[in-house]
Order: sequence, then C-alpha cells, then structure tokens
Amino acid sequence: MNDPHEIPTLVVEDLCTSFATERGPLQAVDGVSFTLRRGRTLGVVGESGSGKSATARSIMNLLPPGTSATTGRVLLDGRDVRSLSRAESRHVWGVEAAMVFQNPMTSLNPVIPVGRQIGEGLRYHRKLSRAAAGRRARELLEQVGIADPERRLAEYPHQLSGGMRQRVMIAVALACDPKLLIADEPTTALDVTVQKQILDLLDRLRQQRRMAMVLITHDLSVVAGRTDDVIVMYAGRVVEQAPTRQLFSAMRHPYTQALFESIPKVTQPSHTRLRIIQGRPPDLAALGPGCAFAPRCAHAQPRCCRETPPLSGSEGADARHACFYPAGTTVGEAALAANRAAGRTAAGLALAAGAAAGADVA
Amino acid sequence: MAGVGTAQLRPSDEVLLQVTDLYVEHSAGRRRTVRAVSGVSFDVACGETLGLVGESGCGKSSTARAVLQLPRPTSGTVTLDGTDLTTLRGEELRRVRSSLQMIFQDPLASLNPRRRVADIVREGLDIWPDHRCLDADDGGTPAPAADRVRAVLDSVGMDLDEIGGRRPHEFSGGQAQRICIARALMLDPQVLICDEPVSALDVSIQAQILNLLEDLKGLYGLTMLFIAHDLAVVKSVSDRVCVMYLGRICEIGPTEAIFDRPAHPYTDALLASVPQIDAGPAVAGDVLTGDPPSPFDAPTGCRFRTRCPRATERCAEQVPELSEVSAGRFVACHFPLTDEPAHPADDDAAVGHSTTPTSP
Ligand SMILES: Nc1ncnc2c1ncn2[C@@H]1O[C@H](COP(=O)(O)OP(=O)(O)OP(=O)(O)O)[C@@H](O)[C@H]1O
Ligand SMILES: Nc1ncnc2c1ncn2[C@@H]1O[C@H](COP(=O)(O)OP(=O)(O)O)[C@@H](O)[C@H]1O
Ligand code: SF4
Ligand code: SF4
Ligand SMILES: [Mg+2]
Ligand SMILES: [Mg+2]
Repeated sequence: MNDPHEIPTLVVEDLCTSFATERGPLQAVDGVSFTLRRGRTLGVVGESGSGKSATARSIMNLLPPGTSATTGRVLLDGRDVRSLSRAESRHVWGVEAAMVFQNPMTSLNPVIPVGRQIGEGLRYHRKLSRAAAGRRARELLEQVGIADPERRLAEYPHQLSGGMRQRVMIAVALACDPKLLIADEPTTALDVTVQKQILDLLDRLRQQRRMAMVLITHDLSVVAGRTDDVIVMYAGRVVEQAPTRQLFSAMRHPYTQALFESIPKVTQPSHTRLRIIQGRPPDLAALGPGCAFAPRCAHAQPRCCRETPPLSGSEGADARHACFYPAGTTVGEAALAANRAAGRTAAGLALAAGAAAGADVA
Repeated sequence: MAGVGTAQLRPSDEVLLQVTDLYVEHSAGRRRTVRAVSGVSFDVACGETLGLVGESGCGKSSTARAVLQLPRPTSGTVTLDGTDLTTLRGEELRRVRSSLQMIFQDPLASLNPRRRVADIVREGLDIWPDHRCLDADDGGTPAPAADRVRAVLDSVGMDLDEIGGRRPHEFSGGQAQRICIARALMLDPQVLICDEPVSALDVSIQAQILNLLEDLKGLYGLTMLFIAHDLAVVKSVSDRVCVMYLGRICEIGPTEAIFDRPAHPYTDALLASVPQIDAGPAVAGDVLTGDPPSPFDAPTGCRFRTRCPRATERCAEQVPELSEVSAGRFVACHFPLTDEPAHPADDDAAVGHSTTPTSP
C-alpha cells in the first residue's frame, strides 16, 4: 500500500502565522506540523476562527505579505517550497499544489467564461495552445460531472448553480494535475444532496490521480467518513491528531470530545439534550498564558491556567493530543471528577456536581 | 416534492396555526415571477414544534414570511387561533402580529446597531404599549417593563445589568441570537417562527441555542415553526416535520416516523446524503444526481420527478396529492416507499431518472 520510504507529498513543520491587527499581533496559526502521503486524505476540523483557512493559505503561500508573517517549513515532494525563488515558485502554486476555496462565487472571475478560466493555467504553465487548452477544459468539465460541457464552457459563473460552480472550481484546481489538493470547506455553502455529490467527486478524483488531499471542514461527520487522518484545531493550534478511526473510537482532548457531543445527530431521538460547550472561542489577539481551552474545559486544573500543553503522544503511537488531563485516562477522569465534586474548575467554570457528561450547567 | 392537498390538516379547533393552500409569488424582474410556494398546507397545534426542512430555495423562508403577512401571500389562508390573518388590515393586523414573532439566520443583521440591548429588547413594548405582558407563572398581572426585560434576558442566559447598556456589535453571533430571542419573547408570542436560527453559528454555540429554544418552549409554552436545512438540527427540536421541495410539500408527519422510515423518495435521498459520524466510510453514489430545477421552470406533475429514481410517466402527468400512509403521516407521491416492496413498474413503464427530461 504505502511505501514508508516514499517521500511524503506534503510535510509541514512548525508552521506559524501571525497577522498584524489594530489590537496587535494575532497568532492565527501556532506550531502546526503534519505529514501527508500520496493518495491519502487529511481532515482538518475546528470551529470558525480556529485557523483552518489560515493554515491552508500559509501552506499555499496565499497570505498578504504586508500584514502577515509566516515561519516554519513546507516540503512539497521533499522540496522546501518556502525558500524557492519567485520564478521557481511560480510553477508550484496552483500547479503542483492547488486549492479549492470556501466560496466559489468570490474565487471565480465573474467576467470570464468558465472554459477560459479552466484553460488559463494550462496555457500559462503547460504552454498549451488555445485550442488544446479548450479541449482539455472540456474534458475536465466532463470529469467533474457537468452535463453538456460544450455549452457550459462558454457560460459565466453566475449562470451556474452553486453545485456547478464548485465543480468548476475543482476543474480549475485540477487542470495542471496537482500532486496536492487543499479543499477548504468545499461544500459549506451547498445543500446536503449536492454536498454529497461534491465530496464523492473529490474522493473519486483523488483515487484516480493518487493525489494527496487536505479536506478542511467544521463538520466532524464529513471528516469521519472521508479521511485517513484528522487534526483538530483550536485557537490556532493542533489540539488532537490521530488516524481517523482511532480518533472516533477514543477522543482524548476534552475539546474534541465536547465538540463531538454538542452536534445533533440524525441517529439520536428528537429532543435529545445536547451537550453544551460553555463560553466561546478565545480572542486570538488577547490569548493569556496556559491552555487556550481552559476557560471552557470541564477538566481544567491549576496547571492548565499556567502552562501550555504540548502536542504529544505515547512512544510509537500515531495519536497525539495537547492536554494535561486527557479524557479517558486516569488523570483526566480524576481531574473531571474533582471538578464536579467542587462544582467548578480551576479556571472558574461552574459545573453541576455529580452530573453526567452531557449536563454541564447551562 | 411533490404535492398539494389538505388531507393532512387536523380539525381547526385542535390547532393554533393553520395554513391552507398557500401560494407565494415573487416578482423577479423583467415581468417574470417566481412561484416560491405552490399550494402548501400545514398546521401547528398549541405547544408543538413543526420543523420545515428542504434544500435552499425550496420556499421555506417564503412560507415563514407569508405566515407573518410579510408580505401577504398571493393566495391561501393563514389562521391563527381562529382568525384569518389574510383578511386583516392595518391596525387589526398589527395587533395580531405581535403574537407571531420571528428570529432569523443572521442575528447581527436583525439588530439595530445604534441601539442599546436593553432598548432593543424593550422595543416591542414601545411599539405595542398596550400589550399585556403576562408573566409565565402568575397569568394575569402585567409586569412593569423593566422587570420584564430583566426576566426575559435572564431566561436566555443574559444579565441585564451586564449587557443592557451595550450595543449589538459587541456581541458574538450566539449572544446576538440570544438577544433576538429575548426580543421576540418580550410580547409573549403565541407562535415563534425560527428561520435557520443556528445556521450561521458555530457548532458549540449552536447547541447552546438549540437547548435554549427547547427550554423556553417548556417555560413559555411556545408553539414553534422551526426552519432549517440541516436535518439533524430539525430532528433535534421538532415534534412533527414537513419536508418541502420546490415550493410544495413532500411529506409531513411525526418526526421519529419520518426519520426512521422516510416514505417520500426525496426525504429518503436527503437522509441518505447526510454524512454520519458513526456510519463508517462514506458510501459513494446512490443519492440524487443534478441540482434542483429552476423555480421558473418547475417540472409538470410531481416536481421531484426529474431527480426521482422511481419516476414514471404518471409522475409527469399527475400532481401527487398528500395522502395518509399511516397514522398522522401524509405523503405526496404516486409510489411512496412503504413497508411492502414497491412496484412502480406495475403501474406503467418505469422511466429511469437519467432519461427523464430535465429542466435547466
Ligand atoms: N488576513 C487576515 N488579517 C487579520 N486576521 C486574519 C486574517 N485572516 C484570518 N485572520 C484571523 O485569523 C484567525 C483564523 O482565521 P481562519 O480564517 O484561519 O479561521 P477558520 O478556521 O478558517 O474559520 P472558518 O471556519 O470561519 O473559515 C481568525 O481570528 C481570523 O480573524
Ligand atoms: N424577495 C424575493 N424576490 C424574488 N425571488 C425571491 C424572493 N425571495 C425568495 N425568492 C425566490 O423564491 C424561491 C424560494 O425562496 P426562499 O423562500 O427564500 O427559500 P428557502 O428559504 O427555502 O431557501 C427561490 O427561488 C428564491 O430565489
Ligand atoms: S485539561 Fe487542561 S490542558 Fe487539557 S484541555 Fe482542559 S484545560 Fe487544556
Ligand atoms: S415516484 Fe413519482 S410522485 Fe413519487 S416522488 Fe418520484 S416522481 Fe414524484
Ligand atoms: Mg475558513
Ligand atoms: Mg431561507
């Protein structure tokens, strides 16, 4: 299956990105590292503002140079792409590594027919003739499942439905046969039936082309069925990282667990009480010391308010988490029990004494 | 979708809100009209939550606004507690409207940025000064406005002293939605209409608001029309569910029954598309192909037929009417998915959906 000696398609090492804002520096990405091999899919989940898109844009070199600063290493097929010259990197971004964005309407050009938008990269990077690029664009539209591609080539984005626009975006991204595809919430604006079509399409194309894929989503259930590995982000950091099956069978980070339990599921009876995560995500421009999840965490102890937990796991294990008192461990359950008995956590969050996991005080 | 008909309506003295044969048309420029809602009928009993679900553009919001007479529907009736709102004018309508309140998808956009939270929540009382706000427990004595504001904010988990003087932009989406809910509750509405109230919120905040709505339903005895495109969200709060497609109702009935055993092919496809955490790897295929047809050019007969795997020629010719398939469950389909294996081909030659003419 996977040759461990094969050079991974993407290696990200200690990626950090901060933005200059009115209120001072905002650390949107803080020490993200992962490895992604050919043909595999990595899911990135987290709530709004957790740094998913900032991570993707940092990898893809798409951030505004003036107001953002990125450090860390990004290796594409073993090549350090952050140290390439401008001329060299021109044929990397959008060619070897391509991206599908959250909102196809703002990332497609409204005044250019879709056929030309798909063919543009081929003409520039692959030096195809206009006619050849047109033929290839037609094939690509067919591959992404657009009926009557000949007619659609000449149409403008606004003439297409949301699902079709997203397919066109995918065709644009795939035009130059990338090794890596980063899909940032590719289906968030779409209806479930269309969402399924698009996710199936991405799956199929990844398999056919043996691409490596990063699938960014706020929806844990999308990640569950369609990725090999998952990273969970909170406040710019990776708080849990594991092979997908392992993550869903044992969630260690209290945030991952709470997030999972707060989602209504079609398999639950109606009127099932949902687990609540108190409070809201932190302001990244005003992060204090300690674990960023501490104010909302039912496990929090004094140590959590002082020290930032590193992302770590047991020797040789694939799964890692950034937590001093992980769920499902002796220390973690003891911390939770002590907080319940006290009625509050070290960070001051009120808890119902002796309550079951699903019933933190509202 | 599918169908028309009123077989699903319960006797009018058993329900609080009844909508009959609702049509809503919007003008769409160049003298064209979109028919957003075509012959929709449903009712909601006192204390019940009816969930309205369907893909974007199927007419959920148009239905909700027509219930509020904002604007008045093209035709059909909307009866609240025995009064047909579509016949009311001016002051009479204004008065009745206070007992129907609505909350929206984008909470920040529906709050006046220049006003303070305390004033925003009080607003309804200023507009309807004669409105008798009854306390939930001692049904009768009107509470002084300030106490009422405090109590209502308290019930949505916010403290008047802490936030009363602040303005909307200082709040997160979840907090702003709480303020909207508080404002809606000020006038003790009989019916609360929620149009995608959690769609713009983060998952962790969504759970807070859903639990809150469930609590308030108990506390204030609210009747709710709850709209969402997320099936799991709709299921979690609804007693009954109404599934819409392209302006018509596909099926309506008790929540559990519909989710356990969808009878309309569209409901079945919707449910099959929902990614599920515990279901293992996603299975490719076997759901709907294509996009919903344009509302300008709705298919004849059953509007779902261009995407329906069970469609036959009959579906192109005859609009299916809602009819009862089991106690309280109504489905608008010529070949519903019932317990017995269905044989649409017995009726006439089955036409695969791939060969059915598709509208653009
Ligand atoms: N160009 C920018 N300038 C300043 N701050 C930014 C910029 N882009 C992102 N941020 C901030 O960085 C943090 C992470 O943002 P990011 O867009 O990565 O979140 P996300 O996880 O993709 O969220 P969503 O689910 O809403 O897409 C946020 O606090 C955001 O406000
Ligand atoms: N004000 C309006 N003017 C023109 N068309 C509208 C207007 N509001 C809604 N529509 C159209 O009516 C149909 C139903 O819309 P809507 O009720 O908003 O659906 P939903 O809430 O289910 O997404 C759609 O085709 C939509 O484009
Ligand atoms: S237990 Fe401590 S370290 Fe772990 S998530 Fe909670 S606050 Fe953070
Ligand atoms: S079987 Fe016919 S009537 Fe029933 S949903 Fe399909 S197309 Fe409509
Ligand atoms: Mg994003
Ligand atoms: Mg709507």
